[in-house]
Parts: sequence; C-alpha cells; structure tokens
Amino acid sequence: MNKTLRISFALKNTYRVNSILYALKQIPLLKKILPSSLYQVRGFKILANVLSVIWEVICVFLGKFLYFLLMIVLASTLYKTESSEGLFLHLLVLLTMLGSFVNTYMFDPTRDKFYALMSLNMNAREYTLVNYGYAIIKVLVGFTLFGIIFGLGAGLPLWQCILIPFFVAGIKITVAVTSLWKYERTGEATNENLLGKFQWIAIVLFLAAAYGLPALGILIPKFVCGVIMTVCVITGLFSVRKILRFSYYREVYRQILSETITIRQNAQDAVKEQSFKKISTDVTIQSKRKGFEYLNELFIKRHRKILWKSVKKIAAISAALFVVSLGLLWYFPEAKAEVNDLLLNAFPMTLFFMYAINRGTRFTSVLFINCDHSLLTYSFYKKPGYILQLFQIRLREIIKVNLLPAAVISAGLALLLFVSGGTEKPVIYVVMIASVLCQSIFFSVHYLTIYYLLQPYNEGTEIKSGMYQIITFVTYGVCYSVMQMKTPTLYFCLITIVFSVLYCIVASILVYKLAAKTFKIRT
Amino acid sequence: MKFIIEHLEKNFEKKQVFKDISFTFEAGKIYGLLGRNGAGKTTLFNCLNKDLKSDGGSFYISEDGQRRETVPEDIGYVLSTPTVPEFLTGREFLKFFVDIHEESIKDLRPLDEYFDSMSIAPEDRDKLLKDYSHGMKNKMQMLINIIAKPNILLLDEPLTSLDVVVAEEMKQLLRSLKEGRITIFSTHILDLALDLCDEIVLLSHGELEIVDKADLGSREFKEKIIEALREDGNE
Repeated sequence: MNKTLRISFALKNTYRVNSILYALKQIPLLKKILPSSLYQVRGFKILANVLSVIWEVICVFLGKFLYFLLMIVLASTLYKTESSEGLFLHLLVLLTMLGSFVNTYMFDPTRDKFYALMSLNMNAREYTLVNYGYAIIKVLVGFTLFGIIFGLGAGLPLWQCILIPFFVAGIKITVAVTSLWKYERTGEATNENLLGKFQWIAIVLFLAAAYGLPALGILIPKFVCGVIMTVCVITGLFSVRKILRFSYYREVYRQILSETITIRQNAQDAVKEQSFKKISTDVTIQSKRKGFEYLNELFIKRHRKILWKSVKKIAAISAALFVVSLGLLWYFPEAKAEVNDLLLNAFPMTLFFMYAINRGTRFTSVLFINCDHSLLTYSFYKKPGYILQLFQIRLREIIKVNLLPAAVISAGLALLLFVSGGTEKPVIYVVMIASVLCQSIFFSVHYLTIYYLLQPYNEGTEIKSGMYQIITFVTYGVCYSVMQMKTPTLYFCLITIVFSVLYCIVASILVYKLAAKTFKIRT
Repeated sequence: MKFIIEHLEKNFEKKQVFKDISFTFEAGKIYGLLGRNGAGKTTLFNCLNKDLKSDGGSFYISEDGQRRETVPEDIGYVLSTPTVPEFLTGREFLKFFVDIHEESIKDLRPLDEYFDSMSIAPEDRDKLLKDYSHGMKNKMQMLINIIAKPNILLLDEPLTSLDVVVAEEMKQLLRSLKEGRITIFSTHILDLALDLCDEIVLLSHGELEIVDKADLGSREFKEKIIEALREDGNE
C-alpha cells in the first residue's frame, strides 16, 4: 500500500513536472534558450516540482474557495430572500448532488491513471484505493475550511458547517458505489467524461432547480436539507466497505481508459481519418483544367461540403437576421435612432464578427491534412515557382469562399443604415460596404499568409509552431479589443480599407520572398 | 554522372549526427545504406532532399567534369510510409504530375502505360487514393518519383511493409531503373540489401563508409557488416 502510494504520487508528479517543462519549451523565446537536456537539469526539475506542489495546493483550496464564492455566495446575491442560510443550503445541496456524478474522481479517466494502470500495469485496486482515499481527504480538508468560513458567513450553525465536508464526501462515495454495483450487474463502467443522456438531463434539472427555484421564491426547506445531508453521511459511511471490497477496479479502468484516452499516434491517425472522410466520393466530379488549376479545382470540388456549406449557412443566417431586424425596425420605429447611432458609431464591432465567421483556419488545416501533407514530400511540389503559383490560386479561392457571407453582411448593414434613418454623408454607404469586404479579404489573406510563412504542422498534422499560435491569439486579442472602440464609422471604415490593402501588399511581398524557404513540413 | 557529398555535418543541439560525411556515389549503381536505429539514415535523406538544413559541408552533382548544385528535379524521394494526396484518384494524380512536367518528361507515354508498368490494375486507377491499400499507395508514390527520371533516387525503407509479391515487383523495377541514375536505398534488412544493392554503405560514427566485399563469400561479408555495425553501438 505504502509503495503504491509513493509510486503513484511520484508518477503523477513526474507527469506534471514534465508537462510544465514541455509547456515552457513551447514558448518561442524560451525555446531557444532552454537546452533539450532540460528534462534532466536539476534546477528546472526543482522549479517544476515547486510549481507542481503549488498546483496541488491550489487544487485543494483555491478550487473549493472559488466554488463557494462564485457558485454559491455570489450567485446568492442575485436573489431577494430573507433566509440567506436557507438559500446557501439549497444551492449547496443541489450543486453537491450534481457534483456527485459529474465529478467523481474515481471514474475520471485521466492521463496519470492511464500511465499507471495501462502502461505500468500497477495493481488497480491498491492504486484506486490510495488515490481515491487521497481525493476524498482533499475534499474533506477543503470543504471543512471553506464550509465553516462561508457557512458561518451565511448564518449557518457551526454543527451544520462541520457536516458539510462529510456530506460532500458521503454523497460522492455513495454515488461511486452505485456505479460499482452497476458494473457488477451489467459490466458497464461509468465514465465521467462520457455522460449518458439521462445524466445530461439530470444536470439540466439540477441546475434549473438550484438556480431556477429561488427565483420563483421556492427553497428546499432547511429541515429537508439537514435530513439529506445526514442521510448522505450515513450512506457514505456504509459505502466505504464496498469501495474497499470491490474487486474489479482493473476491469473498470481498462474499460473507461480505453474509451477515452488513445495513445498519441492513434489520436493523430484519427484526425487524419476524420479529415479524409470529408473528401467527397462523388464519381461525377471532374476537371477540365490543367496543372495546378486542375489540382485546385478537384480539391475545391471534393471539399465543397466543408469549405462552402458552412459559409452558405452563415450567409443565409445573416440574411435572415437582417430581414428580422428590418421587420422589427418597421414594427418598433422608436428603436430606429438607437440602431442608427450604433451603425454610425459602433461599427468596429463588425471586425470581431468578420473575424469570427472567417473560415481561414479551417481552410488551411484541410489544405494541409488532405493535400500539402502528402504533396510536400515530393520535391517537384516545393519548387519556388510552383509554390507561388499555387499560393495565388489558393488565395483566390479562400477569398471567394469568405466573400459570400461578407457580401450579404455588407449589403445588410448598408440597408439597415438606410432604413434606420440614413446619414447625411452618402459616402458612408460606400465605405461601409467596402470596409466589410476588405475585412473579409484581410482575414483570408492573413490566414493563408501565416500558413505559408510559418507552415505550423508537422508530419503528424499537429501544430508545432509556437509563433503560429501566438499570432492567432494576437489576432483574436486585437479583434476583441477593437470591438470595444467607439469610432465614427467613416474613419473606422477608411482605416480598415487602407490597412487591409497595405497588409495584402506586404503579405504578398513576404510570401514571394520567403515562402520557398518556409513552406515545408516541420520536422 | 556522380553525386558527391563533401564534409557534410549535422547537429541536433549538442548531438552530432553527422561528423564529416564525404562520399562519392556513381551512376548506374544501387547503394544499400545500412545503419543502426537512430544512426541518421532518414536525417541524411532529409538533408540531401533539402528538407533539413545541414550545418556544414556541401553536396553537388558532377557531370562531365562540371559541378552543379542539386535542384528539386534531380531528386526523387520515396518515403517509408507512402504519402499520396488522398483526395485525388490515381489517374488524376498522375495527370497532374504529367501536366506540370510536360516539357521535362522526354518520352511521354499514355497514362495507362505507366499504370501497367507498375502493375496497378485498371479498376483501381480511377479510385480515390484514400481508398488505396498500403502497397498500392507505395507503388503510386514510386511511380510519381520515377516518371520524371530523377538523377538521384532516395528510398527510405521502401519494401519493408509490402507483401512478398509487391516487394518482388518493386525489386525488379528498381533493378530496371538503375541505369543512368544513382539509387540510394536505406534498409534494416541485410539480406535485402545484399540481394538488391551493388554497394553496401554503412552510416556509423556519423560517417559514411563503404564495406569492401573484396573476395569474401556472402556469409563472411554479412558477418563483416554486422561486426562493423556492432562497433557503432559500443561507443
């Protein structure tokens, strides 16, 4: 038992420490500085160990603290009720019941369990008992501390505060035991990450009861809460025996771990297979073109579903939304002034929207997995002239795909502006439409350019470029912060048009200069 | 024609994979490249194909006393796991390739003749490549690589995962292709190397060295190779 405890903690810790070191090595600047022998350098190990311990402490305390603070205390402030301790108990009891099957610890298929039980073939029963015991102790410690602090704060008597940790642990153990029974009867193991239909319904019901009933002025009576808590403590105590005696942990874990965690290689194969499935098998698809145009046309036609279907949907939904908005404006003319003001002053919001609907990343990922991944292994494909030729063709396609919803949106916005009262400067209509179209083109160019300049994928089709991830994140950040800006529409549109044009020019120059060197499979 | 490597070096951070590779390959021969796991066979191919940058040295083609840099068309590189564009049919892939090489392929033949030469059955030619078996993908990859008649053909463990019939077909094909070009063939299977290759080259200690067969019998030759490779592991 003692040995199992030691090994399983050492294993979990090693896994966590190596994950931390791996993450550090993914940061572009650090990557250059850190040696590949990083994993054996004592100093780094100690640092990562410290972080790992801090993480463990955070798990015990911070998690519970935030849970009480956000889910119960802050949520309580939303309701008007005289009985703050009644509301506290109501939320606590229902949320704990929900947590008892959503967060079991025992049936959570984590990677460290995979390594311990599948790769190292450790004794499953000992491993489970040790780790489950530890998890329950963490629950008891965390909930004792914060149960008392927040419970007393809500006006609960001390004895009931002290009951909280035992109630939480008790109900978790009880639910775990029912799952073990279920396994003995049916051979089906419960997997916390693959919840069934009924569990999802239960989640919705519990959440609705927890947060919905108080809004209607209904609370579970304090007395009933007390009974539920006490009963759970008692059933929990009785259930401990079953936990200790259950003899099929190995089988249970084999089942749930193989359901959820596949080793890396398989996961990548699965990604590729998924992607290949999207290739249309329609035998009538043909092309009369030649060379790279031929390649491109077949690619687009055989991927019509993923490339065009969603943009058509977005365009249709946008059109419908505009029709509805126009109808509403006609019905509620008093809203016209506000809409007009939004269109003339809060236009930067369109940028985030255009960002969100752009299919650039999807396009490049399909391009890579289904096309470039294989063709880049042929030397002819990497000739600089060909790379550029194909880049131009693809740029044209990606712009076309994204322009459809952009056209609908720009027309819709202009129409909305007109109907909501228009503007004294007719030029605004023009720049508005041009701006939305330019934004769409900008994002298309942007994604294809960073794909060609950074080519972030390796042979296993994983993204391996930290720079690529940083750029996509920055793109998001910029779009998000621009959304908050209040600028007169005229200026904003002019700025976006000029910026897009300049960006396209710079991007094309960069691709022409650099793509022959950068566009290759990462090794 | 000769393919000459001079003082090629490659390091991964502090690990020196190639110390100083110098070697001259001659046209018309199949070279069997042997090395232990992790010796750097694939890395060498990746460097020669310019997928990886080397850290020093050079390689070039020497023709009639003139030396020149290698260009992508010089090299055909067949990977151990066949990679083909899954969204095309066999015929489409071939047509695409022929389209863009129209001018450089000298004696262009009808597409079906190429398929015949690789014994790819007529009913498979218009199937999507994603539905090809491993062996057929391999044949397709080989076909694309030899059609433009590259001067240097790099083959990374090409026959290991093929069934015996296809493997035999491929061997025949490689023998028929060797005239006028340099074929470098990496493998773990010693018997295959001895059967197919004209020269055996060892990649060990970060260097390339030829194993001289002299007048050894095939058994003694085998032992000599294994002995040489074993030393590499005892460093």
